[in-house]
Amino acid sequence: MIKFQNVSLIYPTTQKTILDTLNFEIGEGEFVLLIGETGIGKSSVLRLINGLVPHHTGGILAGNVEVNGISTRTVRPGQLAELIGIVGQNPINGFVTDIVEDELAFSMESLNLPEETMRKRIEEVLDLLSLNQIRNRKLQTLSGGEQQRVAIAAAMALHPKILVLDEPTSALDPVAAEEVLAILQRLVHDLGITVIIAEHRLERVIGYVDTIIEISSDGQTRIGKPEEILKSSMIAPPIVKLARALKLSDISLSVRDLRKKTENLRSQGRDLLKKPNATGKTLLETRALSVAYDQKIALKPIDLRINSGEIIALMGRNGAGKSSLIKALLEVIPYQGKLKKEISRIGYIPQNANDLLYHQSVSAECLQTDKENSLPPGTTAELLKELAPTVNQNSHPRDLSEGQRLALVLAIVLAPKPELLILDEPTRGLDYESKALLTKLLIDSASRGAAVLIATHDVELVAELATRIAILAEGELVADGDAIEVLLASPSFAPQVTKVMSPRKWITINDVLQGLQ
Amino acid sequence: MRTSDIYRFGGAKALALTATSIISALGFFWPFLNSENKSPLIFWLATPLALLLLLALIGQANLDAKSLALLAMLSAIIAALRPLGAGAAGIEPMWFLLILASYVFGSSFGFLLGVQSMLLSAFLTGGFGPWLPYQIFAAGWVGLIAGAIPKSKRFEIPLLALTSLILAELFGFLMDLQFWPWVFGPKTQLSYIPGAAILENLQRFISYHLASSMAWNVPRAIFTALLIIAVGPGILKALERSARKAAFVSEIKFT
Repeated sequence: MIKFQNVSLIYPTTQKTILDTLNFEIGEGEFVLLIGETGIGKSSVLRLINGLVPHHTGGILAGNVEVNGISTRTVRPGQLAELIGIVGQNPINGFVTDIVEDELAFSMESLNLPEETMRKRIEEVLDLLSLNQIRNRKLQTLSGGEQQRVAIAAAMALHPKILVLDEPTSALDPVAAEEVLAILQRLVHDLGITVIIAEHRLERVIGYVDTIIEISSDGQTRIGKPEEILKSSMIAPPIVKLARALKLSDISLSVRDLRKKTENLRSQGRDLLKKPNATGKTLLETRALSVAYDQKIALKPIDLRINSGEIIALMGRNGAGKSSLIKALLEVIPYQGKLKKEISRIGYIPQNANDLLYHQSVSAECLQTDKENSLPPGTTAELLKELAPTVNQNSHPRDLSEGQRLALVLAIVLAPKPELLILDEPTRGLDYESKALLTKLLIDSASRGAAVLIATHDVELVAELATRIAILAEGELVADGDAIEVLLASPSFAPQVTKVMSPRKWITINDVLQGLQ
Repeated sequence: MRTSDIYRFGGAKALALTATSIISALGFFWPFLNSENKSPLIFWLATPLALLLLLALIGQANLDAKSLALLAMLSAIIAALRPLGAGAAGIEPMWFLLILASYVFGSSFGFLLGVQSMLLSAFLTGGFGPWLPYQIFAAGWVGLIAGAIPKSKRFEIPLLALTSLILAELFGFLMDLQFWPWVFGPKTQLSYIPGAAILENLQRFISYHLASSMAWNVPRAIFTALLIIAVGPGILKALERSARKAAFVSEIKFT
């Protein structure tokens, strides 16, 4: 179906080779995952498939990309529209219309399909992606998972043979992500569509895909079954890392499988002594804090106390009230109840980190931060260099990769040394490396006495760093307690290691190794 | 091979643009050409007809997706900016953006942008009338000329501010020209006299233009130049960045 033969790519105005002699072949009806470190060119590979690269972006392409027998060098991307559906990372940026049904019709309108056909196909994709309930809703009012499903439906309306998705679940909570992945798997199994995705969160997708293509930093490409590739890949989900750390002969891709293999291990070992949580003085305290928008109650009365040295993970479904709570703590929205703060400096990183960046270059952003906080010039730039040495000071902030941009925003927010740091879903689009950087940085801040409140869907991240977890549901605080207790208590929020090792109270690979010593 | 270019008039279309511009110039300047006292109907139909012809011609061209998206977005912003000034004494905050965008993206694009945004803003303001084709053509010319300003990094903003003074005045001049024959009754000192000597009419027009300039054209020109000085640098950077990102005319090579 898709054939890459000796494909190399260089973009205009750069000298760097993005892809170097890439070779692979994907058959019909396969569910393929593309992995590799950030900046390795995964998005370029996806866009090469439908010819957007190089027809739309410019560049030098060596070798040949063939899709369904057509070489992309001979046709314009538009001519492949009916063959390949493409869904971007952030569906809301790609929507053209206002209403779900209109969006589904848009691509068909563009291709001038007859009206009866359009009507039929709209009904068809509405059923296929279970969107019938929300067919008349405004796109803006949909949840992240619903938006992603609409974007997939819009692509499916043209009956493509290939569906290409760039990080389809990175912005979604675990439940919505599973919903999207299950639908993709159904498209592959029921309709024989070839699906290619790039995704950083391997733990989510690994159970669904048939084939993995790994592009490693030395330019080598490997293609094969997940079990083979993950045995030695640079990037691996926790479940595979656990198997590797335990030196098992075979890796497993499912919790069930690994549980079987580790039955003996679980009965050995000992539980770790509970680390006493070093909680310092109370920095912030709420009493019956609640938030209501017009008639709708977003947050029911909540009592919360944040102490110095804590890293609190705020979890819950999309729309559970996480952002409302954060905004109320920052006092940027009206709230009822009491809010007592014993701190002067709060650092805040919003969901869309771009909102903090408005200068023309990285160096200008850094200097502005120094000036605003009356720090000696160069402080922020110095911090940034520590976090991400490769960031070019003259780049435009919006041209940076997700990981680099997060490093920049972190540098800006951390430079004035805030006593409380609040992050709203910082890990969307981050690879394991950037996540490790974030983890280290937050733990460092906490050990210096700052408190961290982090809203996230990423259970693996939470397992690595949180000391305390608060779970919101329907605007209510349903759980608030020690990280280990909460993680062990709720299966859907448990990280993979915990799922494998329960009832042992081990949540990270390190815990397991220590426990087995 | 190159990636699709931002729109450029070439060959037949450049010729069509020149021809229609000349015809529409007749529509503006007819009061001076009409030495005998004949019906001016043909002249004031010239501009609308020329405009229709040109739009039909451009419509046939395949604008590529990137240029089209840019054109649509910029003309929507410009059109939305126009009613913001509420037309008070020539305070129209649309011209500075038209001039800046045309400067970055070139003459052909500038012409289309002027035409599009004026037409669109008529929908927003309800400003339909016999004057609309004249406004549209004049805005197109403003974009056309702004796109031809030579690029010089050092004097960019002063040069743009100066040109914007001239262009805003030019727009005012053209609008006065098409309005003048109808604005007064037949017997004032400033009125157009059908069939009179060119010089006579020219004198009367210039007196009228000077009087109206005080109220409209001078404030418009100054306001536009000030906006360019104040926000020009930032907006230019943003526009140049989108031009860079869109990678117009980047090379595509298959090896």
